[in-house]
Amino acid sequence: MSAPILSVKNLVVEFPTRRGILTAVDEISFDIAAGEVLGVVGESGAGKSLTGAAIIGLLEPPGRVAGGEIVFDGRRIDNLSEEQLRSVRGSRIAMIFQDPLTSLNPLYRIGEQLIETILTHIDMSPSDARKRAISLLDEVGIPAPETRIDAYPHQFSGGMRQRVVIALALAGEPDLVIADEPTTALDVSVQAQIIQLLKRLCHERGMAIMLITHDMGVIAETADRVAVLYAGRIAEVGTTRELVHNPQHPYTSGLMSSIPSMDGDSDRLVQIPGSMPRLTAIPDGCAFHPRCSRSLERCHLERPDEFTVNQSRVACWLYDKDAPHD
Amino acid sequence: MTDAMVQVDSLTRLFDVSKPWLNRVIEREDRRFLRAVDDVSFDIRRGETFALVGESGSGKSTVAKMVVGLLQPTKGDIRIDGVNLADPAQSESMRAMRRRIQMIFQDPFASLNPRWRVDRIISEPIQAFGLESDDRAISKRVAELLTLVGMSGDDGRKFPHEFSGGQRQRICIARALASRPDFIVCDEPTSALDVSVQAQILNLMRDLQQEFGLTYLFISHDLSVVRHMASRIGVMYLGRIVEVAESKALFKQPSHPYTRMLFDAVPDLKMSGRPHQSVEGEIPNPISPPSGCTFHPRCPHVNERCRTEIPEAIASGDVIVACHAHQEGRIGKKL
Amino acid sequence: MSETPLTPRAGEQNALLRFLDSDILYSFRQSKLTMLAAAVTASYFLIALFSPWIAPQNPFDLAGLNLLDSLTPPSWHPDGVPEFPLGTDDQGRDMLSAIMYGSRISLAVGFASVAFAATLGISLGLISGYVGGAVDTVIMRIADIQLTFPSILIALLIDGTVSGLLPSVAREDTAFWVLTFSIGLSFWVQYARTVRSSVLVEKDREYVQAARLIGLKPLTIMARHVLPNVLGPVLVIATINLALAVITEATLSFLGVGIPVTQPSLGTLIRIGNNFLFSGEWWITIFPGVALAILVLSVNLLGDWLRDALNPKLR
Repeated sequence: MSAPILSVKNLVVEFPTRRGILTAVDEISFDIAAGEVLGVVGESGAGKSLTGAAIIGLLEPPGRVAGGEIVFDGRRIDNLSEEQLRSVRGSRIAMIFQDPLTSLNPLYRIGEQLIETILTHIDMSPSDARKRAISLLDEVGIPAPETRIDAYPHQFSGGMRQRVVIALALAGEPDLVIADEPTTALDVSVQAQIIQLLKRLCHERGMAIMLITHDMGVIAETADRVAVLYAGRIAEVGTTRELVHNPQHPYTSGLMSSIPSMDGDSDRLVQIPGSMPRLTAIPDGCAFHPRCSRSLERCHLERPDEFTVNQSRVACWLYDKDAPHD
Repeated sequence: MTDAMVQVDSLTRLFDVSKPWLNRVIEREDRRFLRAVDDVSFDIRRGETFALVGESGSGKSTVAKMVVGLLQPTKGDIRIDGVNLADPAQSESMRAMRRRIQMIFQDPFASLNPRWRVDRIISEPIQAFGLESDDRAISKRVAELLTLVGMSGDDGRKFPHEFSGGQRQRICIARALASRPDFIVCDEPTSALDVSVQAQILNLMRDLQQEFGLTYLFISHDLSVVRHMASRIGVMYLGRIVEVAESKALFKQPSHPYTRMLFDAVPDLKMSGRPHQSVEGEIPNPISPPSGCTFHPRCPHVNERCRTEIPEAIASGDVIVACHAHQEGRIGKKL
Repeated sequence: MSETPLTPRAGEQNALLRFLDSDILYSFRQSKLTMLAAAVTASYFLIALFSPWIAPQNPFDLAGLNLLDSLTPPSWHPDGVPEFPLGTDDQGRDMLSAIMYGSRISLAVGFASVAFAATLGISLGLISGYVGGAVDTVIMRIADIQLTFPSILIALLIDGTVSGLLPSVAREDTAFWVLTFSIGLSFWVQYARTVRSSVLVEKDREYVQAARLIGLKPLTIMARHVLPNVLGPVLVIATINLALAVITEATLSFLGVGIPVTQPSLGTLIRIGNNFLFSGEWWITIFPGVALAILVLSVNLLGDWLRDALNPKLR
């Protein structure tokens, strides 16, 4: 594999509160290669959105990066000043949010917003920028972009608006797009269209995407590799195919089989007992052990190391070959 | 149809979406209505789970609200065990009927009064229907209900904010069961929950159905959940039912072009490499729906008749389809 | 299958413990300014409550006044005497005592009118929001019309009308209630609008629908479920309105339509002193003015803090 475009090592995100410091993201490490779609999946509160926000430097205070490093294209970006970061954000790394309505300014025509974004990142004349904006809208599948460019956000449907948001993200020719739940607010039929679009863009432009979602279906359709987060930690990282067909971590396999299937019969769904712990009460040892049916004694005490199983990286003591078997 | 517990007949609901009177007078506009539910009919058999599935704006939640009596239908009627809910002569039976119909809501964070302890929340329906006489019997029943939904009796002393989303939904189910209903309307009961918790709630609902012989009307946008829960399914699009069929049959052989498109759009979790037909267009604005069959602008089988004439729902066997192309045999079987 | 308990804290907690642990108290402790404002407000309340016992003199008791003491400057002035630390007015009243008693009347009017305005506004807001339709339109249009006039003007108008209707003999005894009524009536709109919009939100909440499903009557639902959950914003308005009501009372009294001279409120005191401002007896108006300003400022600071503390978005 080529050198990763983004490399996150032992990232820690903390929230100081009056009851002590909450660790929302706890020593997360992963790489994204150029042109790759990495799915980041987890249930609400797993820290997946915070990881994305930390990478692009948009953590809301009092949240802060408290450890680890983020290397983008060979350069550390977690210790940059706000000004230096701004030159990276938008042009090299772009972000797509869940709700397209909040990412567009309702008072400006979408053309104005697009052209402004293009001109901030690329040195060109305004008329060239307008041409570029039209070609971007065309690229994301907006019909009749020459006329639609002068419309206001409210004149677009939900799916079309999300396409405009994607065009905005593409305006600075980024190498990495962080997409935080890009299809969650959309209907199934529109979701399918946006997934197709993201895949095509990734393929055509050689752009890497970090796709944050709670929906394994979207991951299976889109991602090359997946990182599964649980309680702010990585449970498993591997290729999507491997993870879908052969999940190793007890949490991942529980998660996969708790999804009702579209074919085949099952009277009862497999369920994982309990729910994800709150940040104020993360158990010692492996954060998943109170819900795990295969937990060992050491799971209660020691936080698991990461082990390589097939092509996946799994944080689970079950895969420790050096452990004495009984 | 035999042993239909709930009969919904040409149910229609309009919402007044016109501007305020003063604006209308000055801007010379007429009243405008949103046809949220348009001529919807279906039966629910005793002990089954009937699901209504559809995307946003399909009117499925509006149907649910009318069936439980939270909204009045503009037209059409709902009979439960033959009793017409809208008939003023039947108002005597209304109160008895209320006890038998309960609802589980979508958002477990909004469906519990934040200022009440859980035991008070669950005992409210018991008291309202006078099901238990003294306090001791009520608290015993509350503890029993909490145990029934997989919680502990001590949880009654806590406030809703102390629980996770899944636990709150269990509390909501306990409250719905408190009046010993036999028909429960579930409006997207798991769409606000995480997958692993969703499985717990769906299993719980199925267990309770078997234990108490409950009948469910299950509203959802999630096809895989609907497939897991329902015995029969009605597919809604822009306020109309386009297809009704047995769950297994529907998933094996969807007839209406919209149903097919919907199935096709579901992400392929198994990564089977199933080819996707490209999905066209988006749901039109329900205030000004397309003429004729409302699906015609997105339909691959459209012809002139579809643009002008609203298709009637026609039953053949257990399947009801409202589609000209299907009735004329213009659509082939799905591979 | 039971879920693992998320909070190790026991379900049984008494109300006091919960309060001591609450975010509100925590945010209170975090802000020194708020604590100061609360301390000042509390002292005003205590002084107002106990003024008959702690004030050096009863300024309303005309028999206890000595005209020879009149217009004595504050005690640090060469002509001042220690008996009257803040000097006296033209009738020989001790200004300190007058301010203590004046605060008592000002706060009483403030509280009474806020209570009246809140009761009226909350009721109308609840009805408007829950019933909707024509009732809603009528109530809200009246509110809109009232909002187009400054509230002081409304209060003046009502005060004038009601006083005119009452026999002149009764005027002095009823002045307090007339003032309360007119100030209260000029402030209800804000409560009604806030409560109405909260009701519109809460009404569609699922716990209210669940209550409708078990056949509870609208009145029961409003009292049991809706009202307790819309009181947060009302509390904020009430606090800020208390300061406003005190100011309105002072303004009306300053204009001479409020509390009569025999039982002066802070506003009346300022008006009396105003006549002497240009003849050098500044203390008669300045001290009540400062007292009023500090009271209003502290109450407003408290209100601001409360608004932020109750708004989860700003926390």
